[in-house]
Amino acid sequence: MRLHWVFAGIVGMGFAVGTGAWQLSRIGIHQGYTPKQPIAFPHKVHAGDNKIPCLYCHYAARTSRHAGIPPASVCMNCHTILEKQTVEIEKLKEAVDQQRPIRWVKVHNLPDFVYFNHSQHVLSGVACQRCHGAVETMNTVSQVAPLTMGWCLQCHREHAKLPVGDFQRAALGLKEKQKPVAGLDCASCHY
Amino acid sequence: MSDLGKGDQSRGCKSAKDQLVQINGAAAPSYWKSPEELHNGARRTAEFPGGLPSSPTGEETTRRDFLAAMGFTVAAAGLAGCRAPVQNAIPLLVGSDEIIPGVANWYATTCRGCASSCSLLVKQRDGRPIKIEGNAESALFGGGTCATGQATVLSLYDDARLRAPLWQGQPTTWQEIDKRVLASLREAQETKSEIVLLSGSVVSPSVQSIIAEWRNSHPHFRHVEYDPVSFTALRAANELSFGRPVVPHYAFDKARVIVGLEADFLGTWLSPVEFARQYAANRNPEKAPALHIQFESGMSVTGSNADLRVAVPPSQLGLVAVALLRRIAHKAGIAPVAGTQDPLDARKLDAVADELWKYRGESLVVSGVNDRSIQVVLNALNAALGNFGKTIDINKPSLQRSGNDNAMAELVAKMQRGDVHTLLMHGVNPAYDYSEPDKFLDGLGKTALAVSFSDRRDETSSRAHAICPDHHFLEAWGDAEPVDSHFSLLQPLIAPLFETRAMQESLLRWIGHPEADYYKYLREFWRTNIFQRQKEIHDFETFWERSLQSGVVTVPPPAAASIPKFQGDWKAAVDRIQKEAGETRADADKSFELHCYETVPMRDGRHANNPWLQELPDPITKVTWSNYASIAPQTAKKLGVNQGDVIRLTAGTRKLELPAFIQPGQESHTISVALGYGRQQVGRAGNNVGWNAYAFTSMEQGDRRYFTKNIVIEKTGRTEKLGSTQTHFSMEGRPIVLETSMAELRRNAEPGNEPATQPSLWAERLHGEHAWGMAIDMNACTGCSACVVACQAENNVPVVGKDQIERIRIMHWIRIDRYYSGEEEDPVSVHQPMMCQHCQNAPCETVCPVLATTTSSEGLNQQVYNRCIGTRYCANNCPYKVRRFNWYNYTENPKFDFNMESPLGRMVLNPDVAVRSRGVMEKCSLCVQRVQLAKNVALQGKRELADGDIQTACQQACPSQAIVFGDLKDPNSRVSKMQHNQRRYQVLDELGTRPNISYLKKVRNPMETA
Repeated sequence: MRLHWVFAGIVGMGFAVGTGAWQLSRIGIHQGYTPKQPIAFPHKVHAGDNKIPCLYCHYAARTSRHAGIPPASVCMNCHTILEKQTVEIEKLKEAVDQQRPIRWVKVHNLPDFVYFNHSQHVLSGVACQRCHGAVETMNTVSQVAPLTMGWCLQCHREHAKLPVGDFQRAALGLKEKQKPVAGLDCASCHY
Repeated sequence: MSDLGKGDQSRGCKSAKDQLVQINGAAAPSYWKSPEELHNGARRTAEFPGGLPSSPTGEETTRRDFLAAMGFTVAAAGLAGCRAPVQNAIPLLVGSDEIIPGVANWYATTCRGCASSCSLLVKQRDGRPIKIEGNAESALFGGGTCATGQATVLSLYDDARLRAPLWQGQPTTWQEIDKRVLASLREAQETKSEIVLLSGSVVSPSVQSIIAEWRNSHPHFRHVEYDPVSFTALRAANELSFGRPVVPHYAFDKARVIVGLEADFLGTWLSPVEFARQYAANRNPEKAPALHIQFESGMSVTGSNADLRVAVPPSQLGLVAVALLRRIAHKAGIAPVAGTQDPLDARKLDAVADELWKYRGESLVVSGVNDRSIQVVLNALNAALGNFGKTIDINKPSLQRSGNDNAMAELVAKMQRGDVHTLLMHGVNPAYDYSEPDKFLDGLGKTALAVSFSDRRDETSSRAHAICPDHHFLEAWGDAEPVDSHFSLLQPLIAPLFETRAMQESLLRWIGHPEADYYKYLREFWRTNIFQRQKEIHDFETFWERSLQSGVVTVPPPAAASIPKFQGDWKAAVDRIQKEAGETRADADKSFELHCYETVPMRDGRHANNPWLQELPDPITKVTWSNYASIAPQTAKKLGVNQGDVIRLTAGTRKLELPAFIQPGQESHTISVALGYGRQQVGRAGNNVGWNAYAFTSMEQGDRRYFTKNIVIEKTGRTEKLGSTQTHFSMEGRPIVLETSMAELRRNAEPGNEPATQPSLWAERLHGEHAWGMAIDMNACTGCSACVVACQAENNVPVVGKDQIERIRIMHWIRIDRYYSGEEEDPVSVHQPMMCQHCQNAPCETVCPVLATTTSSEGLNQQVYNRCIGTRYCANNCPYKVRRFNWYNYTENPKFDFNMESPLGRMVLNPDVAVRSRGVMEKCSLCVQRVQLAKNVALQGKRELADGDIQTACQQACPSQAIVFGDLKDPNSRVSKMQHNQRRYQVLDELGTRPNISYLKKVRNPMETA
C-alpha cells in the first residue's frame, strides 16, 4: 500500500518536473498574445471584407526591415471620404485633429538579438499569412506563430536547397546565379 | 615565396630579436613592437592578463554577495517567466515619402571636425545621423575620412553640450541675449570702441560675406582669425616670396620625390585625408612609387611611412632646408648660399638633393614648421626646382588655414589695455590653447561684453559674459571652400537637439540684417555668387538642389593666372636660420628641446570630450587616454628614465610633469609632447586627461613657435601607468608582417601567389553563392586609424576607459599593429591593420563548447552573441588575438561613464547591430550587416550583387584605399585579382587556418645614401 503512495509520489514528482521544464522552455514564447489596442482596428473589415491589400497600408514591408504600422495619414486617405462613423473612427480623427500619434501595442516581438527583415521575405514571395496567420479574418490581431528560432528554421530549411554545381543549376533551369534562398547561416539573422 | 611558412614555430615564445624569418634566402628584419619587447621578449600574458578579481573596484566577493547574487538570479529567472513588458509602436502621424522606418537615408554635408572641411555623406537612420562617410563625389577628398571626422558624429550626442544660451552662467532666452548684445554693440558704436570677432579659420564663403557686412555696419569692427596650431609662417612666407599671403594647394600625387620637414601631412597637417589619398596612389609599387624623405624630431605617422627618415632636432630643421637649398642652388647655378655647415651627415643631404634635382618639377618639399625664414627658404628651394605650378599650386590656393598669430597677439595686448569693448568668439578656446592664457583671460576680464559661441562651458566660454551655443555641424546649414573654386555645402541631418542657434543667425540678427534666417541668406549668397560662376545649369533651383544632393560644386577658376616669380629675400632668411641654429648648437649636448605636436586622435584638443578619440590608440605610440613625454631610448638610458617615470620638464618658469614614453626613432635631444590634452573644462570624458603643453609654445618673430629650447629634465621619482595597447596581443615572434623591396619585386615580377594548398585534415567546406574575403595592402596603409573609429561607429563597439585598457580589455574590432625593425635609434616601421581573419579552418570554432562561433556558408566566421556563454576558449585559441570579451556591461553602466551610459550618447548606436551584453565574446563580423543589406538592396532592384556593392566600414573610411572587400568566388572582383598579386600572403598561413583575409607585403624602397 505504502509502495503505491511512493510510486504515485514519484510519478507525481516526475509530472511536476516535466511540466515545470516544459513551462520553462516556453518562457518568452507569446503565441496567442492578443493585446487590446488603443483603437479597436478590425483587420477583418479592411483586409478581409474590403480586400485592401496588406501592402497598401504596410507599404514599408517592401523596402524596410520593419513592415511599419501605417501613419494615421494613410488611414485618412480613405476615412476623409468615407461617411461611416463609429466610436473607433472618431478616436482616429481625434488623434489626427489633435496631432497626437497613436500608441499602438506591438503584437509580434522578436528578441533584440535577432535581425529580421520584412522586405527580404516579402520580395522573396513569402505570404504575410505564413507568419502572421489569417489576419484578414481577425478582428483583434493575435500572435499565431510561436516566433521561435526552430519555427523560423523550419521554413528556412524547406527553402534552403542550394543547387551548387553548374550542372545542377542547368538541370533546374536556373540562371547563372542563384535566386535568393533562405539562409541557414547564424549570421543571416544574428549580428 | 615557397619558404615563407617555414618560420620556426617551435621557438614560439622567444624574443623577437632572436627570430629571423627567411624570405627567399635573404634575412628578413626581425620585428618588435616596443623597446621592452626588443630587450625582454614578448609580453607574456597569464590566463587573466588584466588580473582577477573582475570587479572594477577591486573588492573581494563575500559570502553575502554570493547569496545576494543567488537570490537575484532566482528572482530574475522567476520574473523572466512572466509576460514580457508591453511594447508600443508609435508610427508617424503624417507619413513622409522620405522617411521609412528602418531605411537609412544619406545626405551630403561638410565636415567641421577641423578646418580641412572634407566632404561627407552622412547616414541618417530614423531621423538620427549615426555614421559619417566620405563623399566619393568630392574631387579633393574622395570617399575617405580621418579618425576625427568619423568621430564627430558622437560629438553631436555629447552630454556636455549646452541646452540653452547662458548669461553670466545662468540659462536664459535668446531674446534676452539679443537684447543685451545689441545694447552692448550700440554702446560700442556710440563710444567708437572696438568690436572684435575672434574665430578659427573661416572656410565658409557665406560667413566671410556676413563678416564683410559687419565691417560695413560697424566701422570699428575687426575680425581676427586664430588657430591653435598655426600656419601663419607659411602664409607670411608666401607673401614675402610671391606677394600672396596664402597656403598653397599641394599635389602629392604629382611628385616623384617628396621631402617633408616636420610636416605630418598623412596624420594632421593641413588636409591629411586629401594628402593620404594622393600619397597612397603615388606610392603604388606596381607603378613607379614616389620617394619620400622625412626630416623630423619626433616619430610621426608621416615619418613612419617614409623611405628615409632622418631625426633632426627642431632647432636644426632650418639648417636642413638651408643645406638642401645650398646644394640645389649650386646645381641650378643660382647665387651661392652662405655657410658650409650641415646639420647632419652630408652624404644623406647630397643624396636627397640629387634626387630632388633629378626630378625637378616633379618634386615637393613641404614643412610644417611655423617659422617664416624656413618657409621662405623652402619657397626658394621649390622655386629653384621649378615645382610651383606643378606640385604646388599657388594660384588656386588652399583656404583651409587662415589664422594669424600676430593679429592674435595684438588683440590680446589690446584687450589687456582695455581697448576691446565687445568680443565675440567662435570656434576658439584661447584660455586653453593660447601660449599665454593668463594674459588672454586678463584681457577678457576687461571687455565690456564677451560672447562665446561655444557649444559647452569650456575654459574660455565659462569666463565670457554670454554663451550663445552654436549648432553642431550636423544640425546646421553652411558652406565651405576648402580649396579655391571647390565649394561644398552643409545641410542639417537632424533638427537641433537643444535650444541652440546658428552662429551665422546670431551674427545676422545683431547687425539687424533684414534676412536673419541663415538658410535664406545662404541660398541668396549662393545665387549671387557661386551660381553665377558656373555655366552648366541655368536655373538656380536646379543648381541648388543638385548642389545639395551631391554636396560638392566645382566651378571654373576665375582666370588662369601665370605662375608668380619668386622674389623673396632668401639670403636674409638663411642668415637668420644659421644665426639662430648656431646659438642652439653651442650647448646642444646639455640641454634638450621640447617639441609640441598634434596627434592623430586628439589634434588641437577641441574634441577632447569624444571618448572614441580618447580611446583611439595613437598610430605610433599606441597610447590611449593620455599624452606623455616621448624620449629617445638612448637618452632615456643615459638619464636613467624608464617607461612611465614621471619627469619634470622645465624651461624658465614653465614647468610640466608628465610620464616618459620611450619612443624608438625619437631625436636624442628632443622631447616630444602632444598638444590637445589636459583640458580642464570640456566634459566628463575629457576633463583632466593628460597634460596641457600649449604653455611651451611661444611667439618668435611674429610666428608662434611650437618648440622650446633649453629644457631641463628631472626625474620626480613617481611613475604613471600609460594605457598603451602596443604590447597587447603579442603574436610571440611569429612571422606576422612580411616585407619585400622594390628590387626584389622587379626581379620576381611574375605572379606566384596562388592561394595556399597545404594539406588539411578538415573536409573542404562547400561554399554558398559567395565567398567573402578581404585584401589589405600594407604598402598603402599609413596607419592613420580612421578605420578603427569607423568600425567603432558602425559596430557599436563600446569605450572601456584607461583602467580597462591597462588590463588588456580594449574592445576595438580592428586594431592597427605597428611593428618596428632595425636599430632602436632609427627604426623602420610598418602598420598592419589586424582584425578577425575569418579563417576557413578557424581555431576558435573547434574549442567553442556551445557552437557559438561557426563559419557561414559564405566564409564568414560568425559570432552568435545569444549563444555565447563566455568561456573565452575561442579567444585563447585564436592565433591572431582578435577576439574581444565583454568583461562588463558597458551599456547603461555608471562605472563606464562614456557615451553608452547616457541616453543621449546611445542615440549614435547603429540599430542594425546588436549591442552586446556582459559575458559574451565579440569580434569583427566583416560588417555582415552591410553584406545582408547589400543583398537586400540588390533583391529590391531585381539585380545581382556587383563587385563594390559592399564596402565594409573600415574599407569605406580608408583615405588611402588600403582595404578591399569582395567576393572571392567572382574571379573578376577586385579582391580576387589581388589574390594573384605577387606581394600577397596570409598571416600565419602555416598554421593551416586558411584565412579569408590576405595581406599585400610592405614594399621597401630604401634610398641609397652612402
